[in-house]
Amino acid sequence: MPMTVMSNATSRRARNMAFTATAGLLVALLCEAALAQGPFGTGAGTASAPPAALGGVVGWLLAKQAIYYREFTGLIRAAKADGSAVYGLLGLSFTYGIFHAAGPGHGKAVIASYLVANGETWRRGVALSFASALVQALAAVAIVGIAAVLLGGTAKMMGDAVRVIEIASYLLVIALGIRLTWIKVRSFRAALRMVKQRPAAIDHAHAHPQDHRHAHVARSEAHHHHHGAPDGHAACATCGHAHGPEPRDLTGPGGWRRGMSAIFAAGLRPCSGAILVLVFAFAQGLFWTGVASTLAMGLGTAITVAALATLAVGARSAAARLANRKQGFGLLALRGLEAGAALAVIAVGLLLLTGYMASERMFGV
Amino acid sequence: MQQTMRSEAAIRGCRLVRSARSTLRAFVRASFVVACLSSITVGGARAHPHVWVTMKGELVYAADGLVTGVRHAWTFDDMYSAFATQGLAHTKKDAFTRAELAALAEVNVASLKEYGYFTSAKANGKKRPFGEPIDYWLDYADSQLTLHFTLPFKTPVAARDLAMEIYDPTWFVEFSFAEKNPVALVDAPAGCQLKIQRPTGLSAAQGQQLGEDFFNSLTATSNWAAQFANKVLVQCP
Repeated sequence: MPMTVMSNATSRRARNMAFTATAGLLVALLCEAALAQGPFGTGAGTASAPPAALGGVVGWLLAKQAIYYREFTGLIRAAKADGSAVYGLLGLSFTYGIFHAAGPGHGKAVIASYLVANGETWRRGVALSFASALVQALAAVAIVGIAAVLLGGTAKMMGDAVRVIEIASYLLVIALGIRLTWIKVRSFRAALRMVKQRPAAIDHAHAHPQDHRHAHVARSEAHHHHHGAPDGHAACATCGHAHGPEPRDLTGPGGWRRGMSAIFAAGLRPCSGAILVLVFAFAQGLFWTGVASTLAMGLGTAITVAALATLAVGARSAAARLANRKQGFGLLALRGLEAGAALAVIAVGLLLLTGYMASERMFGV
Repeated sequence: MQQTMRSEAAIRGCRLVRSARSTLRAFVRASFVVACLSSITVGGARAHPHVWVTMKGELVYAADGLVTGVRHAWTFDDMYSAFATQGLAHTKKDAFTRAELAALAEVNVASLKEYGYFTSAKANGKKRPFGEPIDYWLDYADSQLTLHFTLPFKTPVAARDLAMEIYDPTWFVEFSFAEKNPVALVDAPAGCQLKIQRPTGLSAAQGQQLGEDFFNSLTATSNWAAQFANKVLVQCP
């Protein structure tokens, strides 16, 4: 009996975490949608949703970012005169990256939703975070390196390049979301069917040893595998049908190719701060110093994103543990969480894209 | 056998109810957590400023005592100035002439329209719209660009109390008045008094120097961004 009590408490916690994760994600996604092209028409950057008030931790975070950001110009100038100032610049870039990643940018939202929807491991979550941060840094370097350094282009040219990349990355986000949703909604409906056929499922579960039952509610690839063997149980005709096995390409090792879509969807759009720093460094004749600074920023960003990814993976695995304990509803909740996260990816993509279109129409640049 | 199964079903039914109840409880508790989390997340979705503008301005009065508009001079920080001038053709090193910057000024002014030129004004408590900017150009000095433009009122304004605010609601651009003589009155009637209020977030002390009643009309209309707002207040007899 104490065992039951404990598992109830644990599953409540798990459920709490699952709810929190989903709702938090949705809020994050919605809040990151407001976009603009920069008010002076030169294409510099993204404006965020208007704050309700400025204070507390967030106000402090923003104030810190602003201070760090303003120190860039001084340190880059110092690096021009004295090479050793570069270390200070790299340190600043790294710290700024950590702080700045707490700000706007759809990358974190996409990565976190992707991890929740896909039930990825922590290791993969961290790897995805670092890879997307690297892609983001390299995108800024590529834009400034090609447009400004090689072609001698203007700010408008860089702005146009960012806009094209933006559309590509938003479309990628939507495509990723649609693919995930397609799979997850099917799994959710399967779980729903299973709950409706609950009596059969329960009887079935009870007629078997513990480990068998777990095979039905745990990761569906395990389930699928299980059903690959001839079972011969009458109830399993419905189970096998109802569980809706996930396509093989979404689970298991060696799935780097599918991870790539998330990495690029999340990381393709460069951060405006990095572009400004790179151009300023280039104007001082220190392009490579700017590149090093951008990469250090990316490293800082990766750490923050990886922390968020850890939260997402933790919430997801808590939900999975819950699913193991509570048969029908647990699985339903888990599949619902996954489907919600997948839908959220589409939502963020659409919001980003429409936000872009609105500012494009107004700008007419 | 039949009996056992039935009672098992009953127990299961009870568990279902309990589970639904605990789900509800968990949801209520989770909502609190979510509320806290979302406030952080919403906050987290804010950007710090990427562009800094140091402002000087002139309020221009006509001979009949009406306010015709405002002349802005916005100096951009050196990082943004470097970005904006990147790749622009210029003949002299580290210098840009007004002509070389003419196209950029055109783009700036055209783009600012969407943002209402970050400027809003009220005369005697009533919002007064601005028209299209005139007389605009860019200067370049000490690695910094300065955008000059005149923002005329759609119709000249008679104002005993004129209040003007300059700020970016999204805080992508941070505006601040120049240290010395940020705002001047040009050809204003005698006895007009000019007051400046800097963003309270930055310099609360300066805001408090001004009389409480003077700002009562403003607080009624002020919004979340009031703390970033740079206010110009003119009282004429």
